[in-house]
Amino acid sequence: MYKYIFYFSLFIYIFSLVWGVLFTQEDFVQGNSFRIIYLHVPASFLSQSIYAAMAISSVIYLIWRVKLSAYLILAMAPIGALVTFLALFSGSVWGIPTWGTWWQWDARITSTLILFIMYLGLISLHNSFSNHEKADKLLSWLVIVGFVNIPIIKKSVDWWSTLHQSASITLTDKPTIDPSMLYPLIGSIIGFFGIVICLIIISSKVQIFKREKTKSWIKDYV
Amino acid sequence: MFDFPFKSIEEALYMNGHGIYVWSVVLVVTFCLIYAFAYYKIKLKKFKKKFNEPN
Amino acid sequence: MNVFYLEYLKLKKKTRHWIGPIIVFILIMIAYPLTVEFLEKDLEKGFYSLLWISILLSMMLATEDIFLEDYNDGTLEQTIISISSFPFLIAKKIFIYWFMIGIPISLFSFLFSLGITKNLNISLLVFPFAMICSYIFLNLFVFGSALSLNKGSVLGAIITMPLALPVLIVLGKGVIAIQFGINYLELLLLLLGSLSIIITSVPFIVSYIIKAHLE
Repeated sequence: MYKYIFYFSLFIYIFSLVWGVLFTQEDFVQGNSFRIIYLHVPASFLSQSIYAAMAISSVIYLIWRVKLSAYLILAMAPIGALVTFLALFSGSVWGIPTWGTWWQWDARITSTLILFIMYLGLISLHNSFSNHEKADKLLSWLVIVGFVNIPIIKKSVDWWSTLHQSASITLTDKPTIDPSMLYPLIGSIIGFFGIVICLIIISSKVQIFKREKTKSWIKDYV
Repeated sequence: MFDFPFKSIEEALYMNGHGIYVWSVVLVVTFCLIYAFAYYKIKLKKFKKKFNEPN
Repeated sequence: MNVFYLEYLKLKKKTRHWIGPIIVFILIMIAYPLTVEFLEKDLEKGFYSLLWISILLSMMLATEDIFLEDYNDGTLEQTIISISSFPFLIAKKIFIYWFMIGIPISLFSFLFSLGITKNLNISLLVFPFAMICSYIFLNLFVFGSALSLNKGSVLGAIITMPLALPVLIVLGKGVIAIQFGINYLELLLLLLGSLSIIITSVPFIVSYIIKAHLE
């Protein structure tokens, strides 16, 4: 099933990227460098969403002890780290022509860096315990507590005056971006979202195989 | 909506000096996604191979 | 009151545990002027940044093995079985640590601030910031050391530091607000609000984590 999601998302992502990078007009202020938006926004949007999904999985695991949700947290952590890295990297590169610097100690960028370190912390916490069940519980608690960081990331750009522009698309307000630039952006977000979901599915499979390798049903499944 | 704003392919690559930034991000994102997929796919294959091996 | 007193005596007996972080804090603050050319303006520039980071590091040192000894000798396990309100015990333990380490460090912060800036008003306003942030850091690091109970303090620091960084941002803004005499009270209240959420939730979370370790 996930193969269909994958091919569909890949098609949308590539189509939107080609549309955005090659077939939209140059931005009046930022010039052609604005085209990084089609890679940066999906990554930064998902870097936070993955953490939110991990927090939901953690709550499910701690309340109902559903093993799958613990595997899901483990599967999502490295992918979240990768996506956050992509958000930071694309943001830094975008900053060079736009702000004249690749790094600025700005609240939103720093919060994303904090998020990246948190992902690394989660991975290292789990790796330091040989007892998987204990590690799952501890990881879930850390994810929930770290989730406090997400609204800070989201709101930091509004709390502190920074170099970073405010969000172009919000759920409540009208987009501040021209429709010809907006549609490929929405497409790239949807496509990237689908690709990352497929990555999480494969990574979850790896986690299930790793943890359930002694169970008989795995052999039947394979 | 689908207007090609550049006069040639070279101009699309150069993007008035911004091409280096845009295309480097495209390359890194593509590389990371392919690498991640390949990494998990190989791991999955290894697991499947291990399970299929007779004890 | 008995538990308070018991925890106080336990910490008081372990002199290295409570004097150590205070001395480290003082040493960092003394070392700071030595790294800067002796111009008062230069000293003032980076002083508060160093102050907050020193408080952060001292609190990290203070909580390094807050539960480790009790965990190793089985006291922790016994306490969970015998005491019904384990989170309250943790809250009291954290409070004692703050009382013995956090408050002296806040007082020293005031003194060092006065010594470097020669401004009593600013130093007086920095004092409550130091009091609140030391309590917040203490709670956060207790959470970290509970997670990495027998895995060393480095892991605890790695996982807790990112949580403390937003507090540092607020502290930085707080100092600027104090220096310019604008809305510092809002920032102080923001920290106080954060603290009230943290001191009510951290003991419960830590007790669950310790139970997970002992299961």
